[in-house]
Amino acid sequence: MKKVLIALSTAGTPDKAIDYAVERARKENAALVAIYVIDAELAEEVFESFSDMGFIGDRPSTLLSESIMKEYRQRGYEELGRVQIKTMEAGVDFEPLIERGDFASKVLELVRRLDVSLAVVVKKGKKTFLKYLSRSPADEVKEKAPCEVVIFTDE
Amino acid sequence: MSVEIDTRPIWIILALKSLRPLFFLLLAVLFWYFINMPSPAGLTPAGQNAIAVFLLCLVLWVSNAVPLAITSIFAIVLVPLLGILTKKETYALFGNEAVFFILGAFILAGAVMHSGLSNRIALNIIGKFGGSPRRLLLSVFLLAAVLSFFMSEHAVAAMLFPMLLELSKSLKLRPGRSNYGKFLFLALAWGCVIGGVATFLGGARVPLAMGILKETTGATIGFLEYTVAVLPLVVILLAVGFALLMILYPIDVAGVENAGEVVEKRLKGLGKMSFGEYSVGIILLLTIIGWISMGRTLGLAAVALSSVVVLFVLGIVRWKDIEEYVNWGIILMYGGAIILGSALDKSGAAAWIINGVIGRWSGSPWTVFAIVSLLTIFLTEAMSHAAVIAVLLPVVIGISGKMSVDPSIMTYSVATPAGLAFILPMSTPANALAVSSNYITVRDMAKGGLIMVIVSWVLFNLMAAFYWPLIGIGRLR
Repeated sequence: MKKVLIALSTAGTPDKAIDYAVERARKENAALVAIYVIDAELAEEVFESFSDMGFIGDRPSTLLSESIMKEYRQRGYEELGRVQIKTMEAGVDFEPLIERGDFASKVLELVRRLDVSLAVVVKKGKKTFLKYLSRSPADEVKEKAPCEVVIFTDE
Repeated sequence: MSVEIDTRPIWIILALKSLRPLFFLLLAVLFWYFINMPSPAGLTPAGQNAIAVFLLCLVLWVSNAVPLAITSIFAIVLVPLLGILTKKETYALFGNEAVFFILGAFILAGAVMHSGLSNRIALNIIGKFGGSPRRLLLSVFLLAAVLSFFMSEHAVAAMLFPMLLELSKSLKLRPGRSNYGKFLFLALAWGCVIGGVATFLGGARVPLAMGILKETTGATIGFLEYTVAVLPLVVILLAVGFALLMILYPIDVAGVENAGEVVEKRLKGLGKMSFGEYSVGIILLLTIIGWISMGRTLGLAAVALSSVVVLFVLGIVRWKDIEEYVNWGIILMYGGAIILGSALDKSGAAAWIINGVIGRWSGSPWTVFAIVSLLTIFLTEAMSHAAVIAVLLPVVIGISGKMSVDPSIMTYSVATPAGLAFILPMSTPANALAVSSNYITVRDMAKGGLIMVIVSWVLFNLMAAFYWPLIGIGRLR
């Protein structure tokens, strides 16, 4: 069975991206795989910042990291839930995934492992000069993925 | 268990792996060159070595290549090894009153957090005053600021953050999109930053500055004297900060009833106020009275440590509890910073730098004050607040001697702006935390932060020019 992938953004995925992925999966008679990647590095950076720079002890720093990770996981479940409702309405098979790590690497790994035919990713809109300073993970996915990649820009 | 295979080309992997050793090798070669090159005119060999150690620490503090406290160990090891100070002088500086005051203040803050008192105060204030969207934001903003008057701003941020996440969830705020969410988390960060400069307790940087001042000149600034000097700045910045957030992020929620329910539920979970909470509250209050009334005679460290002893005698905390709340690297960090400052001063390196920098310059003390405060406020965006003080203050105190200005006044020009970091997440843990919530982006933080930095610098200089002479701190002009 063909597979369409939607990579959900930690800052919330726009409805238009979800609708597009669900619609393409329905038209192509494919299953929709949704992945939410938790950026654990950010929580680790916060821990280090409090421990190293703020000289706050292990307990509050650990509690803080854990609360950030818990929050990210909950957001992941909520985002996946949004997609699931839309797939159910459209009668599309759905597979939810939550992974920890680097966004681009995890998405690319999944694209290769599941032999995905289409990947839908979201990137944040950036000011013109910032575009030259940094490349978004969505662009990296488009560049390296061995399948069609559609990028939605979230302004 | 999953095994991740690095699929990048081998030369990239090898190049990345060799970056760190290469960085340290380059640093070691440059350091070796600096200590072995012929001494410039007017600089003693000890002074030259002190500058080399100073530069080494500066690079390490800015790059964060090793933890901050470990950079301080470099200073602790190299200062006696290179003959800048004797071993006895170096290690004696660890006995500096400022180090023990910082330690005592952190233990007290740990006890307040462990008892749950700070959590209860926070929930009560938000519950009582946060009845409408605007009042909830104001409660969070002022709560973060006022709590940072009495305990480390980092500890305050760590304590309030999970509470704010829960409130945001109950209000169904969408990360990255909700103005209210942006306001809420920036209120936390800015509240902690602004409140953190109000007293000696908001962060360890002010006591560190006082320690360096005392070590190099013998002069001191009292607990109350410092707060009286900076409180108007704090009050105005709180007003400006809140107004700016109201303009940048207009409130986009209709009500906050759900947040009230969360707070009420949490408060119920805490039960009645315990003996430990009462005791810690009373001890903290008595300690602050002691710092104000007896700080100059008994010493701030003696007052702080006496309270710590009372906490243990009454069995309110156990050593294990405190160990979990205090990062002992703090002693190395601040001890090392004072050693570095003293090495620059006693070796004549600070005086040599000053002669070279402002030797022929005839600018007014007012201009120096303005430039130093500007330099500090921007440096603190890129490196730890304490490191900024360790790097700048010895030189600035030397400048005050050269220009016949009271060194205490120049100490303010570094100690206060060193805490006012609003622009970057890496500049202070509270900012990093706010960005990690995903409600605000780095761009959101930088946008309002830049305005706050400029406003802070202008207000700080106006305060020095017009308010300080009224309270007898002295004139710069």
